[in-house]
Amino acid sequence: MKQLRQTFAHDTWVMPYLRKYKGLLILVLFLGFMTFFSGGALMFNSGYLISEAARQPSSIIYIYIPVVLARAFGIARPVFRYVERLTSHNWVLRIVSDFRKKLYQTVERKASAIQRSHQTGDILSILADDIDHIENLYLRTVFPMVIGWLLYLFVVIGVGSLNWVVGLLLFLLLGIIVVIMPLASVATNGVREYRQHQIQHRFYTNLTDEVLGLGDWLISGRYDDFMQLQTKPIKEIAALRRKDHYYQWWRSFFVQFVVLLTTLVLLIWSGISWTGTKSMADWIAAFALAIFPAVSPFLNMSQGMSEWPVYRRSIERVNQLDQGERKLPDQTKLDESFSELAIDHLTFRYPEGDRNVVDDISLTVHAGEKIALLGPSGTGKSTLLKLIVGDLNPVDGKVLINGKPVSNLQKVRSEIFGILDQQPYLFNTTVMNNVRLGNPNASDDEVKAALAAVGLKNLIESLPEQYNTHVQEAGKRFSGGERQRLSLARILLQDAPVIILDEPTVSLDPITEKKLLDQVFKLLKDKTIIWVTHHLAGIGHVDQVRFLESGHFDMQGAPQKLYREEPRFRQLYDLDKGKPSD
Amino acid sequence: MIDKRLLALPGMRRYMVILGILVFVQAVAVIVQARFLSVAIVNLWNLEPLNSILEPGIIFAVAFLCRHLLTVAENRVFFPFVEKTSGDMREKLMAKIFHLGPAEIEKQGTGNIVTMALEGIDKVQTYLMLVIIKILDMSITPWLILLYILFLRWEQAIFLFIIFPVIILFMVILGLAAQSKADRQYEGYQRLSNHFVDTLRGLSTLKQLGLSKRYADNVYDVSESYRKETMSTLRIALTSTFALDFFTTLSIAVVAVFLGFGLMDGKVTLLPALTILVLAPEYFLPIRNFANDYHATLNGKNALSAVLEILNEPEVGDTDKLADFKWQADANLTLKHMNFTYPNTDKPALKDVSVSISGMKKVGIIGASGSGKSTLINIIGGFLAPDQGGQVALNGHELPHLNQKAWQKNFLYIPQNPYLFHATLAQNIAFYVTNASPASINQAVSKAGLADWVATLPDGLDTMIGEGARTVSGGQAQRIALARAFLDTNRKVLLFDEPTAHLDIETEAALKKDILPVFDNHLVFFATHRLHWIGEMDYVLVVDHGQVVEQGTPAELTAKNGEYVKLRSEMGAPEL
Repeated sequence: MKQLRQTFAHDTWVMPYLRKYKGLLILVLFLGFMTFFSGGALMFNSGYLISEAARQPSSIIYIYIPVVLARAFGIARPVFRYVERLTSHNWVLRIVSDFRKKLYQTVERKASAIQRSHQTGDILSILADDIDHIENLYLRTVFPMVIGWLLYLFVVIGVGSLNWVVGLLLFLLLGIIVVIMPLASVATNGVREYRQHQIQHRFYTNLTDEVLGLGDWLISGRYDDFMQLQTKPIKEIAALRRKDHYYQWWRSFFVQFVVLLTTLVLLIWSGISWTGTKSMADWIAAFALAIFPAVSPFLNMSQGMSEWPVYRRSIERVNQLDQGERKLPDQTKLDESFSELAIDHLTFRYPEGDRNVVDDISLTVHAGEKIALLGPSGTGKSTLLKLIVGDLNPVDGKVLINGKPVSNLQKVRSEIFGILDQQPYLFNTTVMNNVRLGNPNASDDEVKAALAAVGLKNLIESLPEQYNTHVQEAGKRFSGGERQRLSLARILLQDAPVIILDEPTVSLDPITEKKLLDQVFKLLKDKTIIWVTHHLAGIGHVDQVRFLESGHFDMQGAPQKLYREEPRFRQLYDLDKGKPSD
Repeated sequence: MIDKRLLALPGMRRYMVILGILVFVQAVAVIVQARFLSVAIVNLWNLEPLNSILEPGIIFAVAFLCRHLLTVAENRVFFPFVEKTSGDMREKLMAKIFHLGPAEIEKQGTGNIVTMALEGIDKVQTYLMLVIIKILDMSITPWLILLYILFLRWEQAIFLFIIFPVIILFMVILGLAAQSKADRQYEGYQRLSNHFVDTLRGLSTLKQLGLSKRYADNVYDVSESYRKETMSTLRIALTSTFALDFFTTLSIAVVAVFLGFGLMDGKVTLLPALTILVLAPEYFLPIRNFANDYHATLNGKNALSAVLEILNEPEVGDTDKLADFKWQADANLTLKHMNFTYPNTDKPALKDVSVSISGMKKVGIIGASGSGKSTLINIIGGFLAPDQGGQVALNGHELPHLNQKAWQKNFLYIPQNPYLFHATLAQNIAFYVTNASPASINQAVSKAGLADWVATLPDGLDTMIGEGARTVSGGQAQRIALARAFLDTNRKVLLFDEPTAHLDIETEAALKKDILPVFDNHLVFFATHRLHWIGEMDYVLVVDHGQVVEQGTPAELTAKNGEYVKLRSEMGAPEL
């Protein structure tokens, strides 16, 4: 219970939607109830029907109503069930639409425009799965449980109004099935589920580790070690599954045992109270036959409930997303054209970090200047970029654009910064739509002109569907260089004054790299460029090179000057150029 | 109806017999249970005293418990077999992964394979557990009940008998209709569901373009149209279940009504009538159970197919064609008019490659990306097999391919991103020499230039690295691979595939200093597009569009003024 309260304490994902779609929810529960009610009523009515008929009444009139009702319930049950399933799916999918939007908005608020790793993609898939889990929470746990409880109340109150002692007995007996057992299942399963999750996780990471390092395993010839590494987790998983199955089987048996007790209670009660007159005795078969269909929704309640720990993890994960949101200060606009980007004694450290990733950096970039930033991985290049565009707030110091803090310009950010990174994302739509993302108001001709400027005109016009060609998932249709040029076209349309190049050529070969860089600097010659790069190819394009080392600038100056005056720079440049070392 | 592949599982037939007997006994218990419940009710209906239901009540209770105990028994009897079968399958899958090797696994997708070994096998297990017992239940229980009803009153038996195939027929017809509609919709459907992940993954880009806020409504709209399409498919898909439901419930109602009329006319007495009515739902129960678990079985079936498909993948055979082999100063590796074509493509990735290398040389492989450098390295490493046998030879022995155990003991492969296992640094370094002494590991560490870094680690060589542990930069990963090479003095061949392409220039320069010593007394294949390495090579292969267009010493190639010179000038940077 405490856990439950914890899970929903700051819940913004489950409860609000239950309220929002209250009407439909009540309809689903009503239909579910009616399905089982009709099922029970059919047998109840049939039992009465044949008992009454067996008295051989003088006229068919006596059994006329039960005959009609038998057909009515016979048809009502499947119809209710069909409508219930359609309505509940519809309801859940409606919620999923809301969820997706909400998840998107939540992730959007936290996302950074500077992105390096692919792993984010996997985390997002996990979140997408979480939404599916919440979908199942409704279909497999919430609906069946609530419908089950409604039926439980109906049966107990119905019987209790005839005889309160029997009502109380049913309340207790059926209560074991619909309340005690599900709670017990959650408790047992909660622990087991946690362990299972751990073991599976270990098996999963172990196996991924093995498969990714398969080349090394193969060459090393360590077949036995390879196999042995999995034996233990496989055994553990098997043991866990075994326990889980045994538990489920005996639980079902126990539930059936309680059903038996309930049936016997009803039989004995009938024997005592309903054998006064013949017409009263006609009801005995009715009660006895109705009991089995009536308890059928109770049989799976424990199983549905025992899935709760899985759902809880998902709910907690999505709810955690809402926490730690960043508040933006009042937003303003840039009225004049861009003139200067000033970085003033900028310092940054991550909350969990032990050192300053960016350490007291100052730098001023005037309109039209081109700057290259170099440095080994982990020296704070991408952190610096995040600070410049305002995705991170500095611990100390300022980033000013025309003298205004960048954090006040977040709403108009895309009018200031254009970004070309390692892996620009191409959406699963046409080339035309992808490029137009740069400026949604651009005409077809403007898009085509941008594509022509980046040298893709001939390629695209040679494709069967030309500008309407789908780029396919993650843009696999195009090569690395072509993808970069497509996004360069996007940036041309965006027409922002400051362009950030975040290692755009890292996965390209030297020839493609050279061509792309030549093109970038030619097309963007009027722009201000901040270029993060990992080596010196194309370095002649910039006015200034800065080497970043553990959060501060190391070597700096115009590349030509550095080449003349700094032996270290000269050596690196010659190496990069392929001049054999002497 | 029954999956033939299941019957082929070793031991399955024996278990089918045992389970068949249990299910049969269970069906008898169902009949006994119904019969004595009816007897008890009828006694009460006849206004007999309460103790008249004692005996039938007890028999009913015993039969009822028997029936449900038998369910547990069936599962308990069958489970060890299922457990063993799926356990064996998981093990076979692991062995298969090892034998297929990295190139094949990459084709299948790492995530795919791992999910299959974990969830896929679980699904197969569930499938086995469900399907066999359910099928036996369906093929025994209804018929035994029907036989009993026939014995009580043939009219109802005939009715129930006729309605059974009608139900199946309608289920099949409606199921097929739903299937074809679902198939037609599947494509658009899939696109819509991918759209969400697509949008999330592209979020960074949307943010860069200032469009991210606006996209939220788009996400909602697409999801809503997904809902509408799903609902229209579901409306049909659910009719199949509806048909089953409709016919079974209505049949029970019809049976009740006709029994009512029969009773009124005195053609039947209450006891048999009530027994039939109690048994009617039991008659339909197995098929309803089967239909309810249909989706679980379908998933299991697909999972089984996927697993069997991998298990039946052809393995490269003949990995023992090479007797003991050691690369020495006089050893020779020859590729003769070698071709290689990737499966499912028609253009060869490597064409007519002829190369002969002897002794401890340093061989550079250069070319633009996509020219075939990596493919060539993969052929030499035996990860890929040439189109035909006899196109590769070691010391004059013609071999079908280089996936030879004896050859694999001779080389180390160092790719762009050497894989680091989730293990300690020492274990990673000693991966190839598991019995290496701490002293030799330390020596390798300092030769590879890792000593300073290791000194900064709190746990030194016992620091856990790899996925989920301490992160290691690209340069350090290369150095760890290098330490492996320094440690393993038996392996005289080194295959490098673009080891420094993604490193920053300073890291590369520092790394180069430490790599060069390992070249001594080794045969080195070094695929790269970083030109400065060429200066360290004795021999260069220039690869272009899958062909070795030029080969020779750097000096020879420079003198030739052909492809090599052209490539160098295209790749080189201008003077500053």
